Amino acid sequence: MKVSGIIFLLLSTSLFAQNKFSISGTVNMASSGETLFGASVFIKDSSIGTTSNEYGFYSIEVTEGTFTLVVSYLGFEDFYKEISVESDQNLNIELAESSSQLNEVVLQAEESEDISLSRPQMSVSKLNVATIKQMPAVLGEIDIIKSIQLLPGVTNNGEGSSGFNVRGGSVDQNLVLLDETIIYNTSHLLGFFSIFNADAIKDIKLYKGNIPAQFGGRASSVLDVRQKDGNNKNFALTGGIGSVSSRLAIEGPIVKDRSSFLVAGRGSYAHLFLKLSEDLKDNSAYFYDLNLKTNYEINENNQLFLSGYFGRDVFTLAENFNSSYGNSSGNLRWNHVFNDKIFSNLSLNYSKYDYQLEINAFEFDWISQIDNYNLKYALSYYINNDIELDFGINGINYLFNPGEINPTSETSGINYLLLDQKRAIEGGLYIGAEHRLSSKFSLQYGLRYSSFARLGGQSLTEYENDLPVVYNEILEIYQRGVPSGQTEYKKNDIISQFGFLEPRLAFSYQIGQHSSVKAGYSRVAQYIHLLSNTTSVTPIDVWTPSGPFIEPQLSDQYAVGYFKTFNNNAFSLEVEAYYKNIENRIDYIDGSNLIGNNNIETEILKGEAKAYGLEFLLRKTSGSFTGWLAYTISKSEQRTPGGKAGGPGINKGMWYYTPYDRTHDVSITGTYRLNSKWSLNANLIYQTGRPVTYPTGQYEYEGLSIASYSDRNADRLTAYHRIDISAILTPDKPNKKWKGEWVFGLYNIYDRKNAASISFSQNRETGLNEATRIAIFGIVPSVTYNFKF
Amino acid sequence: MKNYILYCVLVLGLLFGSCTDVIELDLPVASPRLVIEASIDWQKETLGNDQEIKLSLSSPFYDNLSRNPATGAFVKIINNKNKSEVIFEDQNNGSYTTSEFIAIMGQSYSLEVVYGGETYIATETMTPVPEITRVFQSTENGFDKNALELNLVFNDPIDETNFYLSKFQRRGDLLPTLFDINDEFTNGNEINIIYEKINNDTTGEKEFVPGDIVDMSLYGISEQYFNYIRLLIQQSGSLGGPFSTIPAEIKGNCINISKPDNYAFGYFRLAEVNNRVYTFQ
Repeated sequence: MKVSGIIFLLLSTSLFAQNKFSISGTVNMASSGETLFGASVFIKDSSIGTTSNEYGFYSIEVTEGTFTLVVSYLGFEDFYKEISVESDQNLNIELAESSSQLNEVVLQAEESEDISLSRPQMSVSKLNVATIKQMPAVLGEIDIIKSIQLLPGVTNNGEGSSGFNVRGGSVDQNLVLLDETIIYNTSHLLGFFSIFNADAIKDIKLYKGNIPAQFGGRASSVLDVRQKDGNNKNFALTGGIGSVSSRLAIEGPIVKDRSSFLVAGRGSYAHLFLKLSEDLKDNSAYFYDLNLKTNYEINENNQLFLSGYFGRDVFTLAENFNSSYGNSSGNLRWNHVFNDKIFSNLSLNYSKYDYQLEINAFEFDWISQIDNYNLKYALSYYINNDIELDFGINGINYLFNPGEINPTSETSGINYLLLDQKRAIEGGLYIGAEHRLSSKFSLQYGLRYSSFARLGGQSLTEYENDLPVVYNEILEIYQRGVPSGQTEYKKNDIISQFGFLEPRLAFSYQIGQHSSVKAGYSRVAQYIHLLSNTTSVTPIDVWTPSGPFIEPQLSDQYAVGYFKTFNNNAFSLEVEAYYKNIENRIDYIDGSNLIGNNNIETEILKGEAKAYGLEFLLRKTSGSFTGWLAYTISKSEQRTPGGKAGGPGINKGMWYYTPYDRTHDVSITGTYRLNSKWSLNANLIYQTGRPVTYPTGQYEYEGLSIASYSDRNADRLTAYHRIDISAILTPDKPNKKWKGEWVFGLYNIYDRKNAASISFSQNRETGLNEATRIAIFGIVPSVTYNFKF
Repeated sequence: MKNYILYCVLVLGLLFGSCTDVIELDLPVASPRLVIEASIDWQKETLGNDQEIKLSLSSPFYDNLSRNPATGAFVKIINNKNKSEVIFEDQNNGSYTTSEFIAIMGQSYSLEVVYGGETYIATETMTPVPEITRVFQSTENGFDKNALELNLVFNDPIDETNFYLSKFQRRGDLLPTLFDINDEFTNGNEINIIYEKINNDTTGEKEFVPGDIVDMSLYGISEQYFNYIRLLIQQSGSLGGPFSTIPAEIKGNCINISKPDNYAFGYFRLAEVNNRVYTFQ
């Protein structure tokens, strides 16, 4: 059995660990006390080294003697300390920021390149918020989700669409975590902004594949976003005033060096612009959000964290239509260090996404919601310098409320309706190890067991012949099945149950000092699904659990890569190839209806998806010019046969492109530091157009010209490309505490009208058919003033 | 109503200073298909003897919508109970007519069309429609509180699932506006269909003004036809945009028994209809 195999492997190496002492502690920023994730900690002139974990904790093992301990983190001064070791030691390290201006931030604050070459983890991108702040942003608002789209293998459906797609996967296949809580919708204002306030975020890590055993539940990726803890030494004020939105963050110590807080708020005033236009004066659209964090260090070995997020989008149309939606989340964590080798984190999370709508003309309102509680216990055991073991357990309790309609007046023509609420629990148990077998060869192996139970407390519709969707042989279309009855499930009943073993495996082999090859395999099960039959996901789309009619999505991903640094680590090259297969990917029958539908199973067919591609990333990480070139060539397809319903399936059962297939995807981003005052930044993006379905003809019916279409996603929009530039001015004020900077930006400098979509319709005045292109942003100038105090 | 929710989101998507323009595209062209517009509409308080079926051929998307009539077909409708047949006469302009159709509520009929040596068949049932109880104008019921709109009111029968099609056309307007309605959220209630026009410089649409005359019809339709017409309305009136559904071929109920792949576009429907005319005050 696999589990015992892993344990045996661990025991066999730990037996030889004798006469050794450990050095452990945390790595922090000297200026704020903020912990540093991914700092490299190593013994000079040896192969002993590690990196700090998400909470800044590290642990290494040495034999008796005197050594030089080196700690480095890009953007910070290296830390050297002579230590003589004759017993276990606790050593907390504070790193000072490089003596540089506010805007001189090193592009890629990542673990020392040498160490990352030797570690098996691949398909991962870590971005420091300072890097993201350098990039030109649309409307002057720094955006984490848009920044990760500059990395290879990450795209989205264009401007004004929510979420992002990783390696040809759908938006709902991304596990987005904000301080460990699950975020269900990453977008503000339908995708124009992301929900992450850069002033409150410390770092982000995106796993595009080779997902470590500690994560599970989404088939394509994990985006791990961490909020800042708050400065525990001094009060600090950070903020920005922009042309569309403004933000402010306050942080400071509660008890110096022990406890701190952070409060960050952000809001847009875009509705001001809508009011300027006569046509739109009665409409408004804006968002706001709030990030909170506080922590308390009880003693050396115990620390508590409390964090929260609340965000809201509000739309009003002519007083007739009010809608608002947003995420709320909260997290309580307890970091406990058992001893110098065992670190633990217990975390309790709550997360909610809800959508509310009120339509006065029809006198009703609509609410839908998903929420979950999540309890996680994770342990890291630093057995010795060659083996780190991570293991843990977690449980999630979900409540899905797919929709409730309330008439808002006596005279309303709408009846009250409550769609069935759905309950489910998801459990995970994992063990994973990073294991160095020799100075050149390292392994990462792990196993996750996930399980899911759909709980009762609702009734389910039964269908004739057990078929919620039937194929009409005569008309050759898919239709809703015929209900034959209802089964009532009590609260304690389990409606259906699933469980999967998810192996994760990766290795790295170092070739020479500056390059390595890596390969990885991971299997991930996904139990909840976002129902969306539109081109891009909408805020209204509801999540639904697996159950009798929807099976969990199962992804298997294989990846190989070549990694190299050159020119004294100034450049790095990453080349990765991947192949991903996803079972049980659902798609929607023609004419499917998902909103307010209690019987989603009558609208879907089960299929599969596959994606494969080759990614290149060339980066320059030091010098006055920094930046990267990313290129991806890939394919993402799906197939949805008729299955039990009969018939050939969607698109006649043939493979078709997913809406997130992009053959070519190029991004170049660069920062040039002109002098101590000015730095210049630019992005260039080129992408193959999105797959779409074009008409192949027309005919007249009911006096209208009706377009006829053929195969799904058989055509493509024109290529998407644009260039953005920005200039950052930091006026010299050497002795003042107040630091300010001006960010001048131009988005889409050559005013390219990139098609967000093309629709086909008949001009109601001329009667002629037309193709109408919708382009969201032309050239957009912006000015933002950022400050730090 | 579901569509309405999505429509609202769509409008929002377009609010953000986005720009739309008409572009020329090279589009793929499929070979023509027969289009059968067999709408047997039985106007309340008439015998429903006079009926017309239109046959045409589909054409490339950008072709002018001059009719592409299909002539020389043989068209008949069969009463599935007593097997009596009514033959529609070819008017040589794509129109096939009869004045001998016998309409029976709830009766199942079959359509048979022989064209180009291939036989197309379809089956449907005559579906009733309730009375229109009121037609009135207002300003406060619509989307824009200042614009005039037309209200068409009827009572949905209790304890049964019903489907409707309504059609509005202002005299002088080139194209009609269709709404598909079901009673999923409004079963047994008084249903008010609101038809409002909002000034739009881009499309050239104009608000209603006093003196405007609107023809309107309310049809009782089958569930199968509702599914068909809903998709057709969605796709033809689509604003496009990122929140529209992926368009697909709309298949009607006319199948080709000689060559199944060569099915016909259009539909054979049998609907009771209520017609009204309203002049804005």
